[in-house]
Amino acid sequence: MKKLIIIPAYNESACIEQTVRDIQKYAKEFDYLIVNDCSTDRTKEICEKNEFNLINLPINLGIGGAVQTGYRYAYENDYDVAVQIDGDGQHDASFLTQMSKTMQREGADMLIGSRFIEKQGFQSSLIRRIGIVYFTWLIKLLTGTTITDPTSGLRMINRSVIEIFARDYPKDYPEPESVVAVLRKKKQVKEIPVIMRERQGGSSSIHSAKSVYYMVKVTLAILVERLRRYE
Amino acid sequence: MSLKLQVILLVMLGCLLVGMVTQIKRKKLDLKYSLSWFVLIIALIILTCFPKLLIIIADFLGITTPINMIFFCGFCFSLVIIYTLTAAVSKMSDNIRSLTQKIALLEKGEEEHE
Repeated sequence: MKKLIIIPAYNESACIEQTVRDIQKYAKEFDYLIVNDCSTDRTKEICEKNEFNLINLPINLGIGGAVQTGYRYAYENDYDVAVQIDGDGQHDASFLTQMSKTMQREGADMLIGSRFIEKQGFQSSLIRRIGIVYFTWLIKLLTGTTITDPTSGLRMINRSVIEIFARDYPKDYPEPESVVAVLRKKKQVKEIPVIMRERQGGSSSIHSAKSVYYMVKVTLAILVERLRRYE
Repeated sequence: MSLKLQVILLVMLGCLLVGMVTQIKRKKLDLKYSLSWFVLIIALIILTCFPKLLIIIADFLGITTPINMIFFCGFCFSLVIIYTLTAAVSKMSDNIRSLTQKIALLEKGEEEHE
């Protein structure tokens, strides 16, 4: 079974090397792919110097476009499983093996690593947690499924969902919206408790004024997604 | 509508029309996207030349001052044009995204081939 780790990287020179080393150490059966989203720092040089498996976007596409590049790569290269982890050191590579086992055992199409099942490790700030609880509620209301961590970037998907994402993936803040899209296509979405660290470097793309845009955009996106019809 | 206003409007619209045709001739403007502008300008020219027509339509719609009718029509047309542009930009950004990914993937494939 071919498994791919997708690492979207925008100005992650501080952490990218450690992230890949962790993967090589703790997730040996996985291939990995760094998608360099036209970084302006030394991310590209660091990856090339270490001969990491790297794909360079010629223009900056934002997180959605970068991750989707990874899914297209996974689709074209016949991967059976793809998982997205962040390049900033938030996600622990040692969970990946367990995740892929759980996914197979439970027959899930998508497995989300959730911070809020066992409530261990970095729990994010209060205000963010309120936002996350709101999205959990909204998704429950619209799809009937409880997703405790809809904003988690640590998500493993199988071939059928790779195909969906390779074709269609949201542009920015893609996590909650794409979970709804997958649920609406009658795929099995399961969650597994994970421990996340605080980011080790780089900065979150969501802050102050942007968080208002984030809430409104994602809410609308989820509502529109609910209106779409799939046979 | 006074003759003075009529003349001013006609001159302005005429300049706009000539300017646009020149741009299309120089291929700076795509005919496809300028069609809605043509429709707008020609409609405004017709209305300016025949204010009677304007009064009839304004009366029909319950607008008391015919000149307001011109502004109203222009405004509505502009909204349609702006909307068309938003739609075109959305489509284009989607296309650019897809192309960017394709280029990156092709480059990657080439690298692996070597």
